[in-house]
Parts: sequence; structure tokens; C-alpha cells
Amino acid sequence: MTVAARLRAIPSWQVTLGVALLGLGFLVAAQLAGEGPRVRYTTQERSPLVETASELQADQEALKVTILDLRARIQAAEQAGEGSAALVKGLNDELQAARIAAGLIPLTGSGIVLQLEDSLQPADPEGNTSDLLVGARDLRTIVEELWAAGAEAIAVNGERMTPTTAVIDIGPSILVNAAYLAGPYQVTAIGPDDLYARLSASPGFVDFIRARAEAWGLRVSIAEPESVDMPAFAGTVTLRYARPQPSPEAVIGPDG
Amino acid sequence: MHQRRNQLTIAAVTFILGLLVIVQLRTQASGAAFAGLSSQELTVLVANLNDRNDDLRGAIGTLERELATLTTNTQRGEVSVDELRADLRRVRLYAGLDPATGPGVVLTIRGPIDGSGVEDLVNELRNAGAEAIAVESVRLVPGVVLLGAAGAVTVDDVPLDDPFELSAIGAPDKLTGSLTRSGGIIAQLAATLPDVIVEVTPLDRVDVPATARELVPGHGRPRL
Repeated sequence: MTVAARLRAIPSWQVTLGVALLGLGFLVAAQLAGEGPRVRYTTQERSPLVETASELQADQEALKVTILDLRARIQAAEQAGEGSAALVKGLNDELQAARIAAGLIPLTGSGIVLQLEDSLQPADPEGNTSDLLVGARDLRTIVEELWAAGAEAIAVNGERMTPTTAVIDIGPSILVNAAYLAGPYQVTAIGPDDLYARLSASPGFVDFIRARAEAWGLRVSIAEPESVDMPAFAGTVTLRYARPQPSPEAVIGPDG
Repeated sequence: MHQRRNQLTIAAVTFILGLLVIVQLRTQASGAAFAGLSSQELTVLVANLNDRNDDLRGAIGTLERELATLTTNTQRGEVSVDELRADLRRVRLYAGLDPATGPGVVLTIRGPIDGSGVEDLVNELRNAGAEAIAVESVRLVPGVVLLGAAGAVTVDDVPLDDPFELSAIGAPDKLTGSLTRSGGIIAQLAATLPDVIVEVTPLDRVDVPATARELVPGHGRPRL
């Protein structure tokens, strides 16, 4: 190789390496900056935690599907004996009514869908953002206002409101029925045709709009589709502590 | 010779570069699922998901046994009346259609509490695993709301007395611990509503009445 050729070769190799190292440095910087000061100390634990949470969430979805499937098969098996006796027919009818009352049957009907989204306003100088996010308290207020306005069944992002449903904050997101929900939150309600009119006339709802949408910029939108689909509760209904009261009242009546 | 070494070096550098790009992308992708959650919050989330999944697995076990019994009965040509009755009792108890009894807690609430304060207590009881709850003689089922300003709370349009009681069935120690822990809901209420006093009594037996409500929707029908 001539001296001239070597001289030409060196810059090109240095240039390539230089560009590659520049990219490397940028990526290292991006990686570090992306983690932020708050989680820097806990980087070691965070990644496995995110992985565990993702796995558990996927497990939960699969378990819910299994439950809904088993319930459908049980219902089919119970109704297989239908017609064999009036007693069985009566029990099946009562069971269907009880399941609807418990939120175990998906429904369709008239109603509204209310969507809540985090505010787009910038955080205050101290960096507080909690008032700008849709919180568990906001969702609970909306759900209560909808019940008060005459809603008969409500779900948030596919999680049905049941007698045992808790709605709690988890960081900037929300747990409903211990399912992890992130915004935008869609609150689906089945109710009378004038559900929206009743909701918007409620002083509590007006207060909510004033305090959260107007003051902090939470984005609230309402749709009145032709019909609303309501999911079934995919959870356990077997109680561990509660028993039927051993009194005459506990005898199952023909109602329901 | 030189060219070969250059190529090898560049190959090595680009390999590391590619590796870092993938790591960076994966970090961002997995982080997006739980964006903004601190390690502490993630730990709480994992605990919640774990408990929930255990519950769901328990429910699947129960349902599988139920289905097996029903299938066996059908194969034998028997009618599953006992199973149907047991299933009905279970669903009605959960829905609030039958009165319930069991261990739990009774909360005695004195002073001018508001509707959202009572709802917060109820939400915390549910979060701690309460299975059946009543305010005085009204079973709390979907549709029942506690509304009103401080000292004027109504449940199903009936004003509450001062003091009034909130009864819940569940693990007494867990319910008590969850309500009374430092920074918990009772401590928060004490800060915002200092005149309100909440007393928690764990009991071996708490009775909760059935709901008087019609729980089958009039505007919704089963979807197939």
C-alpha cells in the first residue's frame, strides 16, 4: 500500500468511527436522561417490576376470559335440563335475574358514554401535576352522579361497577376492580333516554365541570350513541366472610 | 490488512450501536405501559394484581367444580336442583338481594361529614376487601349514592342521623387496619373535616340487610 493510499484510508475510518461514537454517546445520554432523577436510584428494581406487572396484567386478562367462558358453559349446562321440570325452569329464571342484578351478564341498551382525559395545561412552577390528571376521586364523582341521574349499569374502560368495586389511584393511573386502567377513561352508563339531560341538570355534575374541567382543564366529552354495550363483571362472586342470614328473610322468594 | 482491521472495528462498533438502539427502544416500549409510576407505586400495583389474580384463580376453581358436577349430573340423567340452588344463593348474596351475616366492622360516624367523605370510607372498605356494606339499614349496591353537604348526607333520599353507623362484612383486622393506618382515610378525614369522629369496632358478627332496590335494569337487556 502506498503512503498516499494510507493517508486517504485513515481519515475515512476515523470519520466512520467518529460518527458511530457520536451516535453511541447520544444514545447513552438519551438513556440516562429518559430515566429522570426520581427513578435513577431505583433503576435496578424498576425494570423487573415493570416486567412483573406486565406479566400479571396479561395473566389477569387470560383469567377473566376463562371465567367468562366457564360461566357461559355453566349456564348452558344448567339450562340443558330446562323443560324437564317446572322447578328447574323456575330456578333458572331466578338465576338469570340474579346474575343480571349482580352484573354477571353483558347488557345492551339506551345510555351515554362519558370520556374523561387529563388536562393539557402546563404544570405549575413547583411541578405539581396531580390536579391536572383524572384521578380516582374524579371517576367516583362521575359514577355517583350517573347513579343519581338514574343510570342502571355503569362500567369504566370495560370494568363493571359492582357491589364490591373500589376505585383507587395508583400514580397517574387508576385501579378499578384491581384492574390497571390508564386514560382516556370511558364511563359507559345504561339508563333512561333522558339520562344525559338529568345528569347535566344535577348541581353535583355542574360543580364537577366547574371545579375540574373549567378550573383545571380536564377534558370531558359526552356521547349519546344509539345503544350502549355494557360488559359483564369478570371476577369472583364467591364471598369468603359473608353468609346468608339464618332468618326467615333469607329464604329465597319468587321475586328478582 | 489495515482495511480488514478497520472493517472489523467498524463492525464491532455498529454492533454495539445496534444493541443500544434496541435496548433504548425496548426501555421506552415497556416503560410506556406503566409510564409515570414510581417503583413504590409499581410495588403496590404488583401486590394488587397478585391478590386479584389469586382471587380469579380461586373463582375459576369453583366454577370448574360446578361445571364438572353439572356435567356429571346431566350424564347420569339427574336434575341439578341442589347445584342450581347453591349457585342462586351465592349470586343473590353477592348482588345484595339477600341479607348477609359474618365477621366485620361497624363504623360509628359523628359530626358534620359530607357525602363524598362517606363515599371515601365506603371505597376504602371495598379496597380492603369488604364483601357487603350497609349505611344504617340501606344495603350499598350499585345505584345507591351518598350525597349531600356536611351534616346533611342522604342515602336513597333519606337523611342520616348523627351519629350513624356503617356496617361492613369482611376480615375485621384487615378492614380496621386499612381504615386506621397512618395517612389512611380516617387520618385524611381528620385533616379535612376535624369535627368528624369515626370510631371503628371490629366484630365477630355483623348483620347487613338485603337491598330493597330493583337491580334488574329496565333499559338494558342481555347481550348475546
